[in-house]
Amino acid sequence: MYPQQIHSYLQQFFKENNCQILNENDHFINVQLTIEMDKRIMNRPFYWKYQESTGAEPNPAQLTFITDTNKLDDDIKGEVIHFGSPRLSQLFQATNEMGSFVQMYEQVADNLGTKTILTPWLGVNYKITYFSDQTKEVLYSLGMNLMTGTLLEGFQESLSEMDLGVTRPENTFNLPYTIKPIRALERLDGVIENSIQQEDHKWAEEAKMRWQKDRNVLEYFYEGVEDRPECYEIEKEAMDQQYEARIKIEIINGGLFYLI
Amino acid sequence: MIIERSTEWKEGFIERLENREAWDNWTLYTMSYDVVKMNLITDFQGLQSPKYLPTLTPLAHQLEVAETVIERMNGKAILADEVGLGKTIEAGLILKEYLIRGLVKKALILVPASLTNQWIEELNQKFHIPAMQYRKNYDLNHCTIVVMSIDMAKRSPHKEKIYEQDYDLIIIDEAHKLKNHKTKNYEFVQNLKKKFCLLLTATPIQNNVFELFYLISLLKPGHLGNYESFQASFSASKHDVEQEEYLKELVNQVMVRNRRQDTGIEWTNRHVEIIPIDFTKEEKEVYDMISELPTVSPVFSDAFSMITLQREMCSSKEATCLTLTNMREKCIKPEDSSYIDEIIHKAMALEINSKAEKAYEIVSRANGKVIIFTEYRASQTYLQWYLHSKGITSVLFNGKLNKNKREWMKQLFKEKAQVLIATESGSEGINLQFCYHVINYDLPWNPMKLEQRIGRVHRLGQENDVHIYNLAIQNTIEDHILDLLYVKIGVFEKVVGELDDILSAFKKTI
Repeated sequence: MYPQQIHSYLQQFFKENNCQILNENDHFINVQLTIEMDKRIMNRPFYWKYQESTGAEPNPAQLTFITDTNKLDDDIKGEVIHFGSPRLSQLFQATNEMGSFVQMYEQVADNLGTKTILTPWLGVNYKITYFSDQTKEVLYSLGMNLMTGTLLEGFQESLSEMDLGVTRPENTFNLPYTIKPIRALERLDGVIENSIQQEDHKWAEEAKMRWQKDRNVLEYFYEGVEDRPECYEIEKEAMDQQYEARIKIEIINGGLFYLI
Repeated sequence: MIIERSTEWKEGFIERLENREAWDNWTLYTMSYDVVKMNLITDFQGLQSPKYLPTLTPLAHQLEVAETVIERMNGKAILADEVGLGKTIEAGLILKEYLIRGLVKKALILVPASLTNQWIEELNQKFHIPAMQYRKNYDLNHCTIVVMSIDMAKRSPHKEKIYEQDYDLIIIDEAHKLKNHKTKNYEFVQNLKKKFCLLLTATPIQNNVFELFYLISLLKPGHLGNYESFQASFSASKHDVEQEEYLKELVNQVMVRNRRQDTGIEWTNRHVEIIPIDFTKEEKEVYDMISELPTVSPVFSDAFSMITLQREMCSSKEATCLTLTNMREKCIKPEDSSYIDEIIHKAMALEINSKAEKAYEIVSRANGKVIIFTEYRASQTYLQWYLHSKGITSVLFNGKLNKNKREWMKQLFKEKAQVLIATESGSEGINLQFCYHVINYDLPWNPMKLEQRIGRVHRLGQENDVHIYNLAIQNTIEDHILDLLYVKIGVFEKVVGELDDILSAFKKTI
């Protein structure tokens, strides 16, 4: 992430969370946190507890973030923020927590009083992580038509071209879904699991071979030893944990979408 | 195959469907997806960590080490770069990579007490890894990345508390301290669960080849076979091995070692010389009297104390007399005490210290700061007095100094004094690139101590050629020490790899 990308990320993040930007340039940003945001990112629960119990005037923090130190000429003091900095990870985390579930309607221009029918969809973004002593991740964005059960891949990407809003436009009506969202979610989970089953799991085979090789080495060390010491067991356990192949399925976010 | 999944999202979704909670913001939803997409680890291979560390510019060899250890050594390795090439950076990169990839949640970093602060600073500042120093009564359940001195860790109750934890990665700095398999340190580490494990040492062999065997057996028991098969396969004795090419091959499967010259960085040269010194007639006389000790009386027959005395005599009369005085107190027979008295008397009457004179000569010729390493506190004090009498200012450095004092002494040396006189224990973890003359006033038994000493100045950031002077008094125990040092260097090079010059520019063949 380049400084410029981080800068616009911060701008957008604070704007969306109603935090007023007091002062900014292309390399720094000075922002007034709302009470809610202060509680979320400033990590000072005791302060807020005290404020609330005494009824004192709440005083959420003002922060200055420097996104590009190279351009810094004036005397600006603040937190340097770059990709990998703990603050940015925290904001990523906050973004995820506050952007997990949505319900969106495609916006339609008024078309001579004709009513437009909106079809309900469930969209879910999955992250699959493959673990052994190494890792790899894959992202799937799936959508399911709640009328027909049709499956769409790359759902999030297709949404990005649409004009979506949180309220249903005047001249539209939704079809009631025939597949319940929860049922659809289970079906999508099934789709993911199925595709995992059908993949080539060479990576897991390879991890198993590395594990076997290390096991043989260990056995060789204790060959002929009747009473094996505790450290033999510990070592064995460590190896099992190190090489054991696992797959983790996570849902990043998802929601209901009413589309034309 | 184990598949892990969580129902957390589903539960949250139901809350919204049933109107108990509000829906979220669409922009944040999109941003969140974009962030995940951007940070996605799409390949088992390769390093993610550099892009998370834009303020750190690792050197090519450091990145290569991190990659090799993770991809080819499965995260279990000895990092054995020569001193000053940044083993801490390599370990930091590996730890960071595992944290990013979610393979390490908890890590334990064991270091000598004097280096704990340095580790914490580096991990926090350079790697944004929230490492903390362990203190008594800390609850280890709440410490994810913890730095601890190994001497503390091996003792109860800390030991038990550590064993209860489930660490994914263990890093041990200055791992040559585990060379002896009969120590508590060794036993402690042996019983530690080591999923991923990094052992850091520039000198995996200090004195003999079994040290490397034990170090590797700690990391990967069986890799070199068990003790008997190792000894048999390589006809290993303390100072010799056979089939060394094969052994080297095996060692290189678990050890990475970069030498200064392979790093692609311009290094300044290292000029190493042995400076032979002759005793004066009077000094020689005292030395000979010491060497006679075992024949004088059976109470002096202990070879160890005679060797100590001989070495001390090669250093200073002050060091010698301290030991002699202690010996005298233990004498019962009057003729024994009077022999000791005579040596003390003769020693104290000496007006010249040939070695100190030589050291002074080098200091006054040297164009710049000089570090003198001695093995004895008494010689250290004497040298300071002697140099002072010649108008040369010096500061002392030893292992008893705490962190603040060490920094203060370093500052004094940088700004005020020409000479720093250090004892062995002072030579770990201080970086003195502004100095480029090192006098090894006394020679240690262990060649790797010389390498560690030289490493204080010959490291990244040194701008001048480095000059090393090894002082040795001819026809004394120091000749023998020199020979043994050559033998040990030979073993090291056979098994581990080439070493930079530490004794002299010309290698003796063994």
